[in-house]
Amino acid sequence: MLSPFDLPDGIFLLITDELPSPADFALHQCLISHAKEKKDSLRIVLSVSQSLTKWQSISGKSSVTISQQITAKTFHLIDVSSGLESDKITSDPLHALYEQVAAVLETYSQGPDALVILDDISALEWIGYSTSGLFRLCRALRALCLKNNATLLVRHHIVTPGNLDRLFRDVYSLCTHHLDIQPLTSGRSGAVSGQIALHLGPNASSVQPAIKVRSRSTALQYRLTDGSALFFERGSSRGVL
Amino acid sequence: MSSFKRKTTSKTQVLPGTRPSPGSISTTITSTGIPSLDDILGGGLPLTCSLVVAAPDPHSSYGELVQKTFLSQGLACKQDVFVVGGDQDALDWVKGCMWFRDSSSALDEVGDDQKLADEDQKMKIAWRYEQMKQFQTTVGSASTSEDFCRTFELTTRIPASTVENALQSSQLITCDLAADSTSVATPRVITSIEELLSRRLSKAPLRICIPGLGSSAWGDLCGQDILRFLYRLRSLLRQNPLTCASISLDPHISSEAWGGPGWIQRLGWMCDGMITLDAFTTNPSLSNLFPSYHGMVHIHTLPSPHTLLPPSDRFSNLRGLSASTTEGGSSSGENNLAFKCTRKRLIFETMHLDVEGGVGERRTTPAPTAGILDTDQVSRLQSESLPVPASKAALASVQVEIELDPVSTSTAKVPSYNDVTAIEVTHTPKKKPKKTVAFRSDRPDLYDF
Repeated sequence: MLSPFDLPDGIFLLITDELPSPADFALHQCLISHAKEKKDSLRIVLSVSQSLTKWQSISGKSSVTISQQITAKTFHLIDVSSGLESDKITSDPLHALYEQVAAVLETYSQGPDALVILDDISALEWIGYSTSGLFRLCRALRALCLKNNATLLVRHHIVTPGNLDRLFRDVYSLCTHHLDIQPLTSGRSGAVSGQIALHLGPNASSVQPAIKVRSRSTALQYRLTDGSALFFERGSSRGVL
Repeated sequence: MSSFKRKTTSKTQVLPGTRPSPGSISTTITSTGIPSLDDILGGGLPLTCSLVVAAPDPHSSYGELVQKTFLSQGLACKQDVFVVGGDQDALDWVKGCMWFRDSSSALDEVGDDQKLADEDQKMKIAWRYEQMKQFQTTVGSASTSEDFCRTFELTTRIPASTVENALQSSQLITCDLAADSTSVATPRVITSIEELLSRRLSKAPLRICIPGLGSSAWGDLCGQDILRFLYRLRSLLRQNPLTCASISLDPHISSEAWGGPGWIQRLGWMCDGMITLDAFTTNPSLSNLFPSYHGMVHIHTLPSPHTLLPPSDRFSNLRGLSASTTEGGSSSGENNLAFKCTRKRLIFETMHLDVEGGVGERRTTPAPTAGILDTDQVSRLQSESLPVPASKAALASVQVEIELDPVSTSTAKVPSYNDVTAIEVTHTPKKKPKKTVAFRSDRPDLYDF
């Protein structure tokens, strides 16, 4: 999964990004590679900030047809925003969300290698869900994924770099791997869109196959295209050479 | 008779005031009414997307100006418009919007502009520059069709009959906030939009225009209220493919001082596109440094409803990011952008220092007068009869010595009042170093001095 890093299955990957370098491409690439490698496995997307249209159109650029997967019951998109009917937000919708994911996993899972994506946990916090409620949701999802040997991806936005918030620290304590996506400090460029570092999380076990981690000093750079991202080593982009 | 038939494409319904995005056929874009802002957005604002404009300067209203142009463009291209009033009554606010001039007067003006341009063209400085196009800092409306983007003028008001007709035909729908300070207005506005979208039968695109979000008429809003409002509005837009929204924030909530660290970033994550119009009025040193601009434009995020890469990165001339990818990466990155408000319109353009280094005036102080006495002045001083001292003591105490330049005095006549020929020989003009101007053939828009 995620070709330059070859992440193993069954992990809890925390993806962090910043506004100039959104991690949409990482989520989409994980979904696309999972769909290509494990056609019959289940994919569940808890969509907070991205619409089904965007998932479909970007997957379609890589010859992955979401509508066929929906028909085959291998793709389920749960629209989290539709649960916000009431303006009084309590933590109950989060529990209902968990129940929904558990039901889908139990009903439609045909193999062990399912993929669960929560595409924006920060937005849920900003619109009123409590930090402790979101932490409990992540913990419950992690337990559910461990039970089903599924992979869990959670994206969190960093809005104050250098001053990490409580939600990040809570979710980080659960993760096995941390994908750290940052913009260039020199500003936007057409040749380089950002850089990616990969760290081991606190729950990374020695049982899982070893992967090559990358610190920020050896981060991999990437350039976005319409439907994917091109990865290259730092200093080797076309704009530099 | 041939058995072959020409393959005709099925005619798709063209929505008024829209066109396909240059980056993706599945994305339909509409104009904001400002061609240069359309360029920054990658051609225009995509339907199903929201644009947030933050303008933190309390002494100006550039954010509101963007909203007014957005509304005028909607009415001009026969789209439906939903306006939420703020401190001002929504209908009064609409009546203060700008409009375009009729075609005949516009043609006259174009003719005048053309004449002026022709006169400018006559002022050639060298033959080698004839083939070079003029250095442009913005994009004009000439690149877009009139149906897509009208040319609005700030000096022209929207006709009252146009507003009346729009109200009667339900093309224009207004929503005023009740003066109820006990509760926040965001849930009521969301409910109004939901009701409108649910009972709407028209196939024309709908623009939702919200000027001054967070002003006193909205009640005592906290940061979470605004973020939740933007989040719910965005999900409503995505459920309705013919709708887009433009929101300007009240000045006091447009800075991180109000929402705390990361406030602007949070706002950027809750909408599809967000820019800040940072006016210079709060910082006089910047307005002195950049006299031809009224503020800087900061881009936080840009809409990309169907692609990973925002279309703006590929198609925006002003941002200049496409140059670095297509020309082998020789560009240094994204251009700095600024805006200025002329008498007629608001313009976004690339930001440059002036030729003289940033100011229109001389930056170094001129040398003292005594140091630049020329021969005329010297001889005039000589010719003047000094008063004879009254005593020897005075003669000893006052002594004026004037050191004359030996070269000048050898060639110069002592000029008298009527001596015209003295002018010719008083000075030998010093040769100034030649200015060299080079241009780069690979980048014809750059000059190296």
